[in-house]
Amino acid sequence: MSEFALLTLLIGALSLIAIGIGGLVLSRNLFRIVLALSLAEAGANLLLVLVGFRRDAIAPIIEQGHALTATMVDPIPQAMVLTAIVIGVGVQALALSLAIRAYVAYGTLDMNVMRSRMETDISDAAGAQPATSQHAPAGGRPLPPISAPRLAHNKGAQG
Amino acid sequence: MNPSFIALVVALPLLAAFLLPLVPKVLRRLVGPLVLLVVAALGMALWQASLSEPLVLAVGGFRPPLGIVFYVDSVAALFVLAVALVTLLLWPWGGDASENLDRKQSLTLVLAAACAGLTVSGDLFNVYVFYELAAVTSYGLAAGSRTAAAQVATFRYVILGSLGSLLALIGITLIYFRSGTLNLAHLADLAPQTLHDPLGLAAFFLILLGLGVKAELFLVNTWAPEVYATAEARVSALLAGLVSKLALLVVARLLVLVFPLPEAREALLVLGMLGMISGEFAAYRARDIKRMLAWSSIGQLGAAFIAFAIPGPAGVAAGLAIALHHLVVKPALFLLAERWGGSLARLAGAARRSPLGAALFALFALSLIGVPPLPGFWAKYLLLSGLAAQPDNLYLLAGLVVLVTTVVEAVYLFRVVGVMYGREAKGEDAGLTNTGSANTQPASALAGSGVFAALLLAAALAAPLLAAPLGRMATQMSDGAAYVARVLPSTATLSGAAQ
Repeated sequence: MSEFALLTLLIGALSLIAIGIGGLVLSRNLFRIVLALSLAEAGANLLLVLVGFRRDAIAPIIEQGHALTATMVDPIPQAMVLTAIVIGVGVQALALSLAIRAYVAYGTLDMNVMRSRMETDISDAAGAQPATSQHAPAGGRPLPPISAPRLAHNKGAQG
Repeated sequence: MNPSFIALVVALPLLAAFLLPLVPKVLRRLVGPLVLLVVAALGMALWQASLSEPLVLAVGGFRPPLGIVFYVDSVAALFVLAVALVTLLLWPWGGDASENLDRKQSLTLVLAAACAGLTVSGDLFNVYVFYELAAVTSYGLAAGSRTAAAQVATFRYVILGSLGSLLALIGITLIYFRSGTLNLAHLADLAPQTLHDPLGLAAFFLILLGLGVKAELFLVNTWAPEVYATAEARVSALLAGLVSKLALLVVARLLVLVFPLPEAREALLVLGMLGMISGEFAAYRARDIKRMLAWSSIGQLGAAFIAFAIPGPAGVAAGLAIALHHLVVKPALFLLAERWGGSLARLAGAARRSPLGAALFALFALSLIGVPPLPGFWAKYLLLSGLAAQPDNLYLLAGLVVLVTTVVEAVYLFRVVGVMYGREAKGEDAGLTNTGSANTQPASALAGSGVFAALLLAAALAAPLLAAPLGRMATQMSDGAAYVARVLPSTATLSGAAQ
């Protein structure tokens, strides 16, 4: 493989990782997030294979009757890539199944909407008022009530 | 002790997890606890054997650095013991449909195996695989409470966790690219020539961020409050108590063996300080007890990162003390919070409804703050004296951060204790306080936290006796040269177990 091809592959691997991580941070759609994750993983796997590459080398398979004179590519990164691919597939399947369940429950695939509904659910389940609301964008009182009269007073002030 | 036994602490729970569905129904509920008891016994035996000299097992008879190696020093053995005991205390005994219970028990066993594997692994790729195993099982357990909020929280956790694993994998790739090896001892040997440069440091930071997801490191800990608020208390306790400590242990090993550089220590110090400040102040602002505990655990792990940043045995000793203390206290608090699990206002008068629970909560809170006779005090004392002994100003700043956040910690924990022992709300606010059965803990949760409390009190009474073994463990772990000499003896033996 020429120097140019190697460089192209390296740049390709790094940009796949960059695109993937960018997508993870910027996307709001759950499926796009999972897709971005798998792009980034593909980039990391490609990088790993490139690390084991040797110039003018053959596949690391020992055959009967062949002398062991030829250079072989490093088999360890290839073994690691196999493991990483398998783990990645499992995790993506898990993430997708969670996304489906979340969609069934909340009826949306938008991460921001979903997150705010989750926060509301958590606060509701706990019986606590949400930390921030439209009436108190910066949050309500800093201290939860110590005694009943103070609670009543604060509630009155907020309402 | 024969080093072959080391393999059992990983293999037994793993085998049991996958064979569990095949066991006859009558015996099925006994398998997990029995296996964990055996692992605990093995951990105890390994600990006694490794206090004098660490044990090394070359798996399959292939010698390191080519073969896979399991390394057990006294710290690793102690964590194996802790993994088995804590998993046993947080074991899913029942209260679920039979099929679901099988799944939960299997997942918990795999998590125990992965945690044991993380402590004993002697090479980076095995660390990656066991870390992924622990990650995937914790996703499964976190989604196990089946509420809609739990699904979203777990999805976000999966995404952040996978991003972390990806960063760690890239870091490991960089390390392999520079050094051509993954064996920790071999890496320690080669690091001064190949890894002590900007690229090596970048690899360390990537791995730090990657493992930091589980260790609740600042920047990558946003999953913690969401997951701990939605998952079952048992699962939160496992994740906060156990899994975070093992990720921390791996980072500490890397720091000692491969990257004993001031830059790496400073990164740990700064991220630890930020974690401590953000965690404790967020806990102060939290309005429900589970999220308060989650943020407080982020703060505590920040303290542990600060401790491991101190060079030499002093830092390792302080880090171990804080990690072990948190390992006992935080699961117990999550167990206690299970039924209280609500806004702080709901806790009013909890002490009258559940006097024992409230008393235990107060005890753990006091220890977490660091009130003198309790072990939390000694952990913080070791941390502060270690920080004060460093000439660098950054360490003094960290000491200041620890002191200030301790005050914050005291305020929010005493506030909870005050509410619990205070009067119950009356009149129109009675709707907020949830009187009745919902406020009493189930007996199993109380019993579990009672055992943790007994451990804590025993540690408090035996504190003078614990100093010597802790010191020896810290010396053993912080001695990188001994690790290399033990795993890669210069005499080339062809026997299976590297002896």
